[in-house]
This record gives sequence, C-alpha cells and structure tokens, in this order.
Amino acid sequence: MHGIWRVMSVQDFNTSLENKTPIMKKLFLIAIICLSATICFAQFGVNLAVSPQPPGALLSWGTKDLTYIVSGGQPGAPPRQVLIKTTLTTSDGTPVATTNLSKARIKLVGQGTAVFYAADVIPLDAMVFTGKYKTSLDKTGKLPSGTYQLCVQLVTPVDFFPQAEERCRTFLLAAYQLPIPMMPANEDVMEAEKAQTAITFRWTPLAPKPAEQVKYIVTVFEVLDKQTPMQALRSNQPLLTKEIIGTTQFIWQPQLSFIKTKIWDEEPGANKDKLKAGDKPVKHVSGDPHVDTRAALDSIDATTFIWTIQTVNFNGIPFGDGNINGDGISEPNVFTVIKDNRRIKTGPPAKIIYQENMRKLKPGQQIYYPPIKKD
Amino acid sequence: MKKRTNKLLFPLLLLLSMNSMAQDSTATNPPFSISGTAGVSYEYYGLSKKPTGWTGFSPRKPWNQVRFNFSPTMKFGKNFSLPFNFNFAMKPTNYAGPYNNIGKQSFSQFITNPMNSFGLNPTYKWAELQLGTQYLSYSELSTGDIGVFGAGFDLRPPGGYRIRIFTGLSQQGVSFFTGPPSTNGAYKRRNTMFSLGKEKENKYEVAVNFVKAKDDSSTANPPPALIKPQEGFTMSLVSKLFFNKGWYVKLEGAQSIYTKDLLLPLDTSKASFKPFIEGHTSTVKDYAGDASFGKRSTNFDIGVKLKYIGAGFQTPGYPFMLPDRFDYTLNTRFNAWKNKDGGHKMNVVASLGQRVNNVSNTTLKAKQFIGNLNWFTQFDDHFSLNVSFNNFGFQSPGGINPYGIKNVSNDFGVNPSYTWGNEKVIHLLSMNYNYSKYDERDVLTGSITSNNTHTALLTYVPTFLTKELTPDFSVMYFNNSMPGFKLKLITFSSGISWPAFKKKMNLRGQVQYNYSRTNSFTNNNNIIASLNSDWRVSKKLIWTTFISTNHFKYGNEITPNNARYLESNVRTGFQYKFGK
Repeated sequence: MHGIWRVMSVQDFNTSLENKTPIMKKLFLIAIICLSATICFAQFGVNLAVSPQPPGALLSWGTKDLTYIVSGGQPGAPPRQVLIKTTLTTSDGTPVATTNLSKARIKLVGQGTAVFYAADVIPLDAMVFTGKYKTSLDKTGKLPSGTYQLCVQLVTPVDFFPQAEERCRTFLLAAYQLPIPMMPANEDVMEAEKAQTAITFRWTPLAPKPAEQVKYIVTVFEVLDKQTPMQALRSNQPLLTKEIIGTTQFIWQPQLSFIKTKIWDEEPGANKDKLKAGDKPVKHVSGDPHVDTRAALDSIDATTFIWTIQTVNFNGIPFGDGNINGDGISEPNVFTVIKDNRRIKTGPPAKIIYQENMRKLKPGQQIYYPPIKKD
Repeated sequence: MKKRTNKLLFPLLLLLSMNSMAQDSTATNPPFSISGTAGVSYEYYGLSKKPTGWTGFSPRKPWNQVRFNFSPTMKFGKNFSLPFNFNFAMKPTNYAGPYNNIGKQSFSQFITNPMNSFGLNPTYKWAELQLGTQYLSYSELSTGDIGVFGAGFDLRPPGGYRIRIFTGLSQQGVSFFTGPPSTNGAYKRRNTMFSLGKEKENKYEVAVNFVKAKDDSSTANPPPALIKPQEGFTMSLVSKLFFNKGWYVKLEGAQSIYTKDLLLPLDTSKASFKPFIEGHTSTVKDYAGDASFGKRSTNFDIGVKLKYIGAGFQTPGYPFMLPDRFDYTLNTRFNAWKNKDGGHKMNVVASLGQRVNNVSNTTLKAKQFIGNLNWFTQFDDHFSLNVSFNNFGFQSPGGINPYGIKNVSNDFGVNPSYTWGNEKVIHLLSMNYNYSKYDERDVLTGSITSNNTHTALLTYVPTFLTKELTPDFSVMYFNNSMPGFKLKLITFSSGISWPAFKKKMNLRGQVQYNYSRTNSFTNNNNIIASLNSDWRVSKKLIWTTFISTNHFKYGNEITPNNARYLESNVRTGFQYKFGK
C-alpha cells in the first residue's frame, strides 16, 4: 500500500503536454495495481473434500461425502455474494455436468468460515448434465460408474468473475449394492431338529467394499398367526438383532422351542367353503384339490420367520444409496421351520408346499397335502 | 356413559343372537349363518440375568402383550356375506419400517400400524366392498406387500371383467426422535391403486394396474432423518395364458415414475404423467419386466423365469424390492420310478440360475450363480434317501480395492431314513449329514478364508399303535471352523405328545440340552424346556397354553465369566369358533 502512495506524487499530476505520456503510463500502472489489489482483496481461502467413494445416487450425498469450506475475507467487511460454479468431468476430461450459473442460488461468504455441502455444490436443479449422463440420471438417479473429477470455484453473481482458486478432487463413483440374503434361501424349509441347534445365515457383502468399516445387522422376526411375512418385518420385535463386522456369515443358536401353539381349529378341507367366486382351486401333483395346506401346515408345527440384513457404517448411518426406505435394509427372505420331518419326506417337497401356500394361493385356495401314513 | 355402554352392548348381543340363530338353522341356504373365529391371547416374557448389571443379552419379546382377533364371516342368504378381519395388539413393537421404535402412538397411528388390521369386506354376489386394512396383491411389479387402511372395491361382473380400486393410508406421520431409542420418523403416505382386467378360467388373464403413493411433507415434525417426502406412480400390464397339456405363459411389464424428494422444485425436463404425477428435479423413470413360461403336469414340471428390474424402478407397493438386476432361472420337478400303487418312488426338484446386478452400469458388475438340487427316493416301504446340493457364488470387481469380492457357498446333504415295525410300534430312524463350505475373499489381501461346517443329526421316533404316547429323540453334532475360530455344538433333544381328558386336551412337551464350545474357552450350557396344551373346553372354545423356559450359562468365553440368563415365555389364549 505504501508503494502505491509513493508512486502518486504531486509531480505526477502535472498535466502539461510534455508530461502527458508518462502520466498516462503511470495512471495505467496505478489502475492495474489497484485492480490486482482488489482481486487479491477478494480472494478467499477454499478447501474441497470429496469422499473417495461417495454414494452413486447424487441425491444421497451427505455431509461426509462432500464438503466445501470457504474462509478468509476482511474482518468486519460486509459479506459478499458469490455463486458456486461446479464442473464435473470424467477422468479423461469428458464433460459430465456444469452449474447453470443463471439458476444457481447466491451464497454469502466473507464473514468467518462458511461450509457448504453437496446440496449447495451440486444442486440437481441448477446442474446441467450432458448426453448419456443425463439419460442415466433421469432413469436411475445415478451416474454411470467410473472415475470422475469434481472442480469447484467461487464466482461473482453477475459477471461470474473468479473469487477464489478452483479446487478439484477425483473420486470413484459406484453405487452401493445392498447385501442379498442368501441362506436360508427365500421360502426355504428346514427341520426343527436341526434349526433348534443352529441356523446359519449367509449374505452377499456390500459391493463395492467401501473404505470405511461396514457393520451388518442380522435381524430375524417370527411371523405370528394371521400375519404376512412383510407385516411381521414391519411390526414385530426381532428375535435376533446381531451386529456382524468383517464377515458375511452368522451362526444363530435360536434357543427356541418350535412347538407351535395351535390357534386354528381347522381340519384339512375346512376352508373349502371360503372359496370366492372366480377363485380356482390349485390342482397340485396328483392329489385331492380339496385339502387346505394352511390347516396341514398348522398340523405339522410350522413356524415361519423372515430375516434381513441392515447395513450401516461404524457410526450407525445406513447405506441407502437411493433405496426408497433409506434405512439400509435389504430385501428380506422368508423361511419355515417344520417340526415333524416325516411330513417333509412323505409329501411333495416342502418347499413347493410352502411356495404355493404363501405366494401363489389366495385365502381359500387349496392344494394337496398327503396325510401321514401309519402303516 | 350409560348410553355408550348400551351402544357397545347392542352389537355384542346382536352378534350372540346371530350366532345362536346360525346354530339352529339346518337348511341348505339358511337366511343367516356365521363361521370363523374370535380370540384373545396374552403373552408374558421374562428375562433375568446374572451377574446383576451384565448387559450381554437383550430381551427379544415385549414383556407383556395382549392380542385380539375377531374374524367371523356372516352370511345373509345365498348372495351376501360379511367377513371381518380384526387383528390387533395392545403394545407397539415395531423395529423396522416407518413406525420403528414408536412409543406412545396416536389413535390414527394405531389404526394404520402394520401390526394391526381392521378389515371388513361385505360381498354381494360378484361385488366386494373393501373397507379398513387391506393387503392387496395386484401383481408382482405393482403392489402386494403393503397394507393400506382405506376403502375400495373389487368387482367381478359377468363376462369375466375385473375392476379393482382402493385408496387409503399406508402410514401416518411419525416425528423424528433422536432417542434413545431413536425413531426414524415417517411422512403420512396415501396409496391409491386401480386395476382393470378380464379373465377366463383356465384360458387367460389380462389386467392393467396403476399404483400411486404420495407423502404429505407437512406431517412429520421434526422430519425423518433418513428420507425425504416421496411420490411414486407405477403402471403395469399383466397377462397370463394357459394352454392345453399344462403349458403356460405369464408376462408383466411395468414402468415407474418416482420422485425421491418432493421438496426439490418441479422440473419440466423430468418424467411426468399428468395429472397423476408431475416431475421434480429428483424424479426418475425406469422399467421392469417379469416373464415365466413352462409346463405343469402331474409328474413333470419345467419352467423358465426371467425378471428384470431397472436401477431406477421403484414401486411403493414393494418397498424392499431390490432394483438394478436381471435374474433368470430354470426350474424343474419330476417324478420317476413307478411303484406298485401306480405312484412314483423318486421325486427330483432342481433349479439353476443367475442374477446379474448392475444392468444399468451405475455400479460395479456383480454376478451370482444359484443352483439347487433336491433328490428324494422312497426305495421301498422301509427305506428312503434324500440328497440335496445347494450352491451360490457372488462376484464383483474391487473398485478402489486391489481385489474383487468373491464369495462361494457349497452345501451338500444326505439323509437316509429307515422305518420298521410290528403291530404295536413303528420305528423311524433318520440320519442327516450336511457339509457346508463357504469361501470369502479378502479384497485387500486377496487371501481366501474357508468356513467349513459339518452337521450330523440322528433322529429316532417310535410311534406306538396301541398307546397314546408319541415320543421322539434326537442328537445333533455341529462343527464350524475357520482360521482362528472353531465352534462345536452338541444337542440332545426329546419330545413327547399325549392326549388327556378323554382326548379333549392334547399335550406336548420338549426338553433340549445344548453344549457349545468356542475355541479353547470352557463350554456353554443351555437347557430349554417347553410345554404346550390345546384344550377343547367345548365344541366351540379352545384354550391354548404354551410355556417355555430357556436357561443359558456361559463358560469363560465372555466377560464376566459364567454369566447366565433365564428366559421365560408364557402364551395363553382362548379361541372361539363361530357357527357349527
């Protein structure tokens, strides 16, 4: 600052003809110095942090996935209006998206430190996506998997003049696939004699494996009488809630008795008159279509369970990534434990019975189930 | 107050009088009849732990719970029926879903809580009015997993047409609560569904389905932490064709338009289907398809199933549906080896398939192979053998990790059974051996961890033909090992059932002892005892009781050493049967 005043002496304001050229030169110099000083005055310290592997759904990016910190500014100076200009490219420089600055929301910076997150830096309503990236986003809410570079810069609202250095970060974008419960398989049937000791649960891991530690919570719910499996999942207290770290298997010792309290006093065939107009009895295998499986299942002490995996990070935040529930809960599996294994052996495969009973039959529809042979 | 009591008494008396009317009627089509059941049950759960203050085992049921069910079906003449379906519990126990950890619930939350159902379906000839809680399944890709409290109808007029419409609330608003226990919170959601179809028995079915759900963003304060208010609209076209000799084809195609955040502004460039749904910045549109074809017959089934769910396909009717996948499976079942009676000695069920995740290229490619085989043979009246094999494998590239994910599971089981006997007793001896191998690759080091499990089970069941007692005995050995970990379990179990009070009561009891040992720690011991009784108090009333106790004592596997707990569970209830 002192240098500037030294340049502007009284002699400099001598407007005689012979002095005009050097004066103009000096004024031009002064103007440049002043302008650069103004720019320097306006520069903010910025820092951009992007998770190396954020969620695939841009809408799911949270505070830990993207942080843009603006600091600096003159103490006591009024806050400045800025826009956040974001450019997204692939690793080879192909443009993916840029901020439409005419639609971007104005931010105020300059008083202390301002922190911005994904919703401010990549606001979906102000970003313009190109070509196949727009198609993918419109269809799935996610961008194609790959390595991307995100560059962020502060600019002035009207003339979009840079107000801070551009900061860029590279990251891998690959949507997380929640685990898939594999064992017991959906609609599996197991013998109570085995299940009373141990039931082994296996599931596929969260893919791709994130940099942070993953916790799988195995939950098992008993399906009570007159409940659908999904109803049980959404309303019952789980019999098992177990946190698993580092593996995708858990051996559960249920410590349960699989003797079932009979609520239904229905003999096979009792539901025959419940058929509604238009319902068709399901003729199964070679048997009598007038026997109700529900009653048959009751008579063999069948207890049904529904189980799933909830995936969370170490702070308990679920991996949702575009899932409509956002709770990190995977599509569940249903399995049934049957007490009387003689029935499994003598009848058609229990899995078929269960599938037909639970999935395909409407209340009142019937399939065949053979009685115990006592001879 | 007295007036209110009278109001409550009146329907009860009417119901009882209707029931007695129904009992007297003997005509083929009585003017009134009633069937179905009603009941109440109470469940007690107790847990005591030692040493005091040990937090190692959490309760797994509510301490006290009362459940009611009231599901009679009244019939007035030939054409009108009135089925009730009321099931409800006094204490909310929600863990997953919109009502998780809800404490004190309002009346509207109680009504729409998935643990309660209040449904009424008056039906006149081919017209059914649907009132209250309904779990309606329209198709595999539109709606089927969600209970909605509201009103609608299901019409099947002559000519094979079918018209269905229903609207109501699938959840009430629940405010977010940090806890403990924390409540995720939920927005009030209205679901509306409509279906128009035509069908001809054993020939064809065709229907077009529309499903819509929308959250009310003002109904949760503070709002849910994990989700934003959403809106979804799904259309699907279903067709089923049935041909001669058991051949069939089933097809469904669906399109969903789903807004993941209604708080973001409207966007004309996004998918819309006005007036049902208008695109917002967060709206996505994607497709799904489901196809199966094959043949079903007495002794031979074969079928192919294909399912594609786009990465952006989301329908409010199946909230847990896994998107972005393509499954294809080949299933077969056949009977072979004829016996003397004309039946078959051999039954084989097999399926083979693959699931490919990431059809849309928004994540890393993952593939799963799934294969199952179950082969049962009844060689003669005495000997049978069941062989099973299950395999699944999962593979995905590593992403930022040096190695990709690779998990492979193989299970092989063999189960011979032998039956012999005389005029007094029939003996059943069953042996079951299963070997399971599960390999997991570490994505950082590439090393593979093998997890091996051997299971052996021996069961003996004598059936006394001249006595009422039916006992059973079993012993099981289970061994699981992987590097640095070894678990051994041994279980002895015995059960018995016998009728009492002139066969009016059926009693069943079971005792089970488990020995378990992890690595070189001292063993854990566990005893479970249970007793169950079904007592037919009268022709119409059954009293059921279940009592169980579970005592577990740890060795030095955990701290504090020798910790133990005692779990007790009592369920008792009355079930009344309407009608004859």
